[in-house]
Amino acid sequence: MSQFEFRVENNPSYASLIVTLPPNQTLLVEAGAMAAMDANIEMKSKMRGGLMKGIGRMFSGESLFISEFTARNSAGELYISPGVPGDVTYYHLDGSKGLMVQSSGFVASSPSVDLDTKFQGLKGFFTGESIFFLRASGQGDFWFSSYGAIIEIPVEGDYVVDTGYIVAFEDTLQYNVEMIGGLSFRSLRTGILGGEGLVCRFSGKGKLWVQSRNLFPLLNFLYPFRPVPNNN
Amino acid sequence: MEIKLLHQPDNAIAHVTLDAGEEIIAQAGAMVAMSGNINASTTLRKGKGGGIMGGLKRMLAGESLFLSVFRAPLPNSEIWFAPKLMGDLLLYEMRGDEFVVQASSYLASGPNVDIDLGWQGFKSFFSGESIFWLSISGQGPLLVTSFGAIYEVDVDGEYVVDTGHIVAFEKSLSFTVGKANPSWIGAFLGGEGLVCRFRGKGKLYCQTHNPGAFGSLVGSQLPPR
Repeated sequence: MSQFEFRVENNPSYASLIVTLPPNQTLLVEAGAMAAMDANIEMKSKMRGGLMKGIGRMFSGESLFISEFTARNSAGELYISPGVPGDVTYYHLDGSKGLMVQSSGFVASSPSVDLDTKFQGLKGFFTGESIFFLRASGQGDFWFSSYGAIIEIPVEGDYVVDTGYIVAFEDTLQYNVEMIGGLSFRSLRTGILGGEGLVCRFSGKGKLWVQSRNLFPLLNFLYPFRPVPNNN
Repeated sequence: MEIKLLHQPDNAIAHVTLDAGEEIIAQAGAMVAMSGNINASTTLRKGKGGGIMGGLKRMLAGESLFLSVFRAPLPNSEIWFAPKLMGDLLLYEMRGDEFVVQASSYLASGPNVDIDLGWQGFKSFFSGESIFWLSISGQGPLLVTSFGAIYEVDVDGEYVVDTGHIVAFEKSLSFTVGKANPSWIGAFLGGEGLVCRFRGKGKLYCQTHNPGAFGSLVGSQLPPR
């Protein structure tokens, strides 16, 4: 199905993606995610879709700068490691639907895939917490990553996900951000990030991917260990 | 109720399938995802450690052990729970005996499992630390988390564990808290602060890593708050 030969190793905790590039084929990779490669692979940093689109990305609070990797003359192997330890999942875009991916979840794609970062985050988002999504459409190969393991959930009907655990979903699903009273601990100050009980309610039919961990609780855990400034 | 554990040990996540009318209780923020029909509430539980006084006790303990109750109105409802840090899950079946769990290791439990926060067994020894303990009793499944992997020790006689590595233990074990090194200076220099010496017969669950040690290692390198 994929136009590239690839494998994912050491998942779900320390996944890296290894792609074999056929001669003179190009792969788009998240900037900085290349770990190692054959010497005949050329790298070009590029803001996809021109300068303005790149600036748009910066404003959306997301540094989706993309590098292009091309194997010159002969095939070459490329090791790609996402920034946080976790899992990598492959998705084939067949042109019939798009894929929404949490902004830091982009790993790699074939050049034929259209990446749209103009999407303004989740509908109904009203707190300071922001999640931006990247919309991948068109045809081709796409890989996304998570913090922790990835779990695929085939949604049919109605499904609720804590916003911090969403990795990706097919755009055939409708979604709406809401606050569930029974999950909201905001007034109790349980942490500095998250804990608002914000969930995303998905409905319809389509695939949804969630991650087994979330970075916010780790940050909340580490916060009290920070040194206290010395006032003397 | 059916509970399955996936991606053990470092990315463990629990998948719970609930039948119509079934309930599960979980720590605040433990819910990852669930069927859209499940109702969530924060109502305080009745019984030992529940009720208004129980809740108050929780607040006074300076800990945020706030619980959510999830109730499924329809059969085949599913819900996912995950721990906060990288680590494992233990599914322990409560059968009427008492079980002591480190408060931050509690993840979720069935409706007939009682959680008592008033247990003072270790408290006086750890006044400086935010570790406190839950005494769990009743019947049904209990989910406990660890930082790192969990290993089970069948204690028969005597066993020594660093306090930061204890996840849970059966109350059939008695214990004393003391220092690992006979001299106080040696205990301090050796970094092994306080250890728990268990005696008797029962199961003890330990974690491979100490969250407090990890927190101070990473946290001390962050800019001051």
